[in-house]
Amino acid sequence: MSGESSGGSETSPEMRNISDSNSTANDDVLLSVRDLKTHYEERSLFGGDPVRAVDGVSFDVRRGETLGLVGESGCGKTTLGRTLVRLEEATDGNIVIDGDDITTLSGDALQRWRRDAQIVFQDPESSLNDRLTVGEIIREPLNVHNWKTPAERRQRVRNLLERVGLREEHYYRYPHQFSGGQRQRVGIARALAVEPDFVVLDEPVSALDVSVQAQILNLLMDLQEELDLTYLFIAHDLSVVRHICDRVAVMYLGKIMEFGPTEQLFQKPENPYTRSLLSAVPTPDPTVERDRTTLRGTPPSPRDPPNGCVFSTRCPAKIRPDGFEELSEHDWDAIEVFREVLRERSRTDPSLSERARELLGLETRLPDVEEAAGELFASRSFPSDVQEPIQQSIEAANDGNEEHAREIITAALGSVCDREAPSLLATGRTDSGRSSRCHRHKEEYADPDASGSDSPQS
Amino acid sequence: MGADTDVGSGSTRTGEFREEASRPEGDRDLPLSERITRNPGPAATWAAVVAVLIAAEFGAIVSGLLSVPPWGWVGGLVPGVVEPVAALLATVAERGAELPTITSRSVIDNTGYQTPSGWEGTTLGLSPAVAWALRVAVIYTYSFTWLLVGWWGYTLYRRHYRIPDWTPRDDVVNRFRRHSWGLFGLTIVFAFVVMALFAPVLGPTTVDQNIENPYENRIDYYNDETGQVESIFVGEANGDTQSRGQGDNNVGPLEYDQYDRFHPFGTLPDGKDLFTFMASGARVSLLVGLTSLGIAGGFAMVFAMLTAYYKGLVDLGVVIAGDSIQAMPQLLFIILASFVLSDTWIAEVYNGGLVLAILFGITGWPALWRAVRGPALQVSEREWIDAAKSYGQRPRVTMQKHMLPYVVGYFLIYASLSLGGVIIGIAGLSFLGLGIEAPVPEWGRAVSAGQPYVATQSWHISLIPGILVVIIVTGFNALGDGVRDAIDPESDIGDGGNENVAAGGGA
Ligand code: SF4
Repeated sequence: MSGESSGGSETSPEMRNISDSNSTANDDVLLSVRDLKTHYEERSLFGGDPVRAVDGVSFDVRRGETLGLVGESGCGKTTLGRTLVRLEEATDGNIVIDGDDITTLSGDALQRWRRDAQIVFQDPESSLNDRLTVGEIIREPLNVHNWKTPAERRQRVRNLLERVGLREEHYYRYPHQFSGGQRQRVGIARALAVEPDFVVLDEPVSALDVSVQAQILNLLMDLQEELDLTYLFIAHDLSVVRHICDRVAVMYLGKIMEFGPTEQLFQKPENPYTRSLLSAVPTPDPTVERDRTTLRGTPPSPRDPPNGCVFSTRCPAKIRPDGFEELSEHDWDAIEVFREVLRERSRTDPSLSERARELLGLETRLPDVEEAAGELFASRSFPSDVQEPIQQSIEAANDGNEEHAREIITAALGSVCDREAPSLLATGRTDSGRSSRCHRHKEEYADPDASGSDSPQS
Repeated sequence: MGADTDVGSGSTRTGEFREEASRPEGDRDLPLSERITRNPGPAATWAAVVAVLIAAEFGAIVSGLLSVPPWGWVGGLVPGVVEPVAALLATVAERGAELPTITSRSVIDNTGYQTPSGWEGTTLGLSPAVAWALRVAVIYTYSFTWLLVGWWGYTLYRRHYRIPDWTPRDDVVNRFRRHSWGLFGLTIVFAFVVMALFAPVLGPTTVDQNIENPYENRIDYYNDETGQVESIFVGEANGDTQSRGQGDNNVGPLEYDQYDRFHPFGTLPDGKDLFTFMASGARVSLLVGLTSLGIAGGFAMVFAMLTAYYKGLVDLGVVIAGDSIQAMPQLLFIILASFVLSDTWIAEVYNGGLVLAILFGITGWPALWRAVRGPALQVSEREWIDAAKSYGQRPRVTMQKHMLPYVVGYFLIYASLSLGGVIIGIAGLSFLGLGIEAPVPEWGRAVSAGQPYVATQSWHISLIPGILVVIIVTGFNALGDGVRDAIDPESDIGDGGNENVAAGGGA
């Protein structure tokens, strides 16, 4: 039973040891995701840019491992998980398992995948039909796939109930009669009913009480061991990921920013985004000094991701173009914030009424560029090669041409981070299986301050 | 299990949660018949009571069930094969009607005449008024007994045979039981249904004798002048019992006419019995109303499921279709269409009732669909729909099992709210001389016939049917309110439905 084996060590980060995952390295790939894209077309009739929820993602999932997928909400991790179980249609790319491409399956082959892959949803309040008994809920996949005889199905449901820490008699109870943790156990039993190989766990504990989370996680780990399951574990809670995952993929704006074995990645994050993400997690040990990089602003819209690096609008380690080294950190920050304001303005499609207000010279709700610039640059003086493009850009913005304003400033003050999308590069020791998407990993841009200095407790 | 502190805490979520029921574990998984065999006591008692109730009305039940389909028409569809069967069933229906039942007219007979020595012909020599009232009382007692026995059966099932101790529907039922306005509505609606079901025996006389074929039937009466019992055609008698407002030309509610016939609601301007007319009209209204709701509801639910599940273009298509239908003035369309169809075979079924039902059905579904579209969309967003998709459940089963049950309640609400509107609509059409063919009783025709006499002593002709329509529409609304509060105690969705009724009423 889940509870017995967990015995109090719920939050120990040492539960899964990296060496385990290394020993299984390079063999036994269960499924390979290659350049996967899932874009949503605009639902309305007016078109507009599609949402690039998942935008070119590649990785392998090894048999028997728990692969973590972390990122802020809206980064596309849930969409990626749903695409793997075919709840979303991929726009491009492939998901290959045993030579079959999941993205193009149909008919019987698709139905087989719908049996081999299951998903556990985040919210157990919404994922169980509360007009059905728990038994009927868990039994439904068995009915769909015509699993053995009805009597055997009933028996299997009973066994599953026991297996996930409920009782046989719960067969005839309704979800209303259970707590959140128990309902999630039902959700897990339903996912396991048809003996899948691969289970997507979409934030399975984030809707639960903290006291229950550890129990459910332990249950999931026990089940994995016992049933040889492969998990894709989606989460935004990093401590949970560290606890349960063998390897981790860090996602930002539809792209994987960093990938690697969990412990290594947590102890020595390579990518600036991962570092900011980890620094937002409170350290259990208060004596450990850590740079608490608080991230500025919000992620850009996935309808209109930045041209260069997706993280370039917020990156604290962003590469400066040559010749601006002497500007202070704060001055440079002000410029970045100003660019953010421009960006914000150009991406908000003004509504009709707003356009009308603008034409009539009335106030609009969008931040006024000149005002923002005034505030940002009030106490600062820039050299002329900085001042000029800023001035031109403000003028262009005042004419209502934010696109042009952005181009001016990018041309003058943009760096490689704004122009070129970095590719996923192998980092760390050659056999470590780590990779990160950042220009800093190239020799020419290496940042002496950033590398290793703020890695916690190494 | 030590760490599983969340197991068992479920009991705090509903007060209804009881530990294992008294039923032994072995009973689980058995089909209902097996469960009953193992504990036959409660079911047997219940079945015995039901048997008594059925026996009391056996003939009427058989003939009632069999006389609903229009056999002549059905037989005509496929002559040769179906015809003899249809004819046979029609005969069985007629024979069944002759079997004695506790509510039959002959058991408590209210027709007779008064001689100087007292009442002749009525049961036990009771006065026709008392005899009639007695029969009505028996009929309603019998019917409400059924209601109670039905409820009793449900509680027995719940206590002794149902496997789950608690289901979400129990809460709905319990809330409805405490909803006095809803119960009031249920009572009114049930009384109306009983009136429709028992129409042939509720009236002091019959439609055939009094309304449709008055010159083929004779009644006996005591002639004071000759001191003789004489016989007269009902048609002739009716001619002397007209209610036309002036002078002696009026037979009001609860009055006898000169042929010793009792008229609980008085007579119509042509001297026919208003109560008999109303009871039979209830049957027509209810039948047409329910059929049209069945048609409209069928469309509305199927479309609601399809549009909520597939969204996008399917939704758009139905929106356009629904809007086009709603853009037409409903009653004008129905008037035109029933005129166009008036010479076809379909217009003859139920004296034009079927045409009306179909027309109300196809013009009525968009409103119902709109009413259930919101809840359907809402449930389609729930994750259990995704879950069903993820393990490969077929769309049809998903809609039926995971969406429909959440929408049916809302459908019931709006259906009961709009049934009143349909009843008013049918009455409105017959008021205009359209719809159900004369002389088949229809409430609107009574209102219309009595209209010239509203300000005279014959006020009852228009007013009584009018008041009954109001009461019944109110009853359906109250029932709808009760169901709404029962299924969704926090909701506030009555407004749309009331608009519906207002629209129907305005028609
Ligand atoms: S490429 Fe540039 S912007 Fe992107 S993460 Fe690296 S340093 Fe930051």
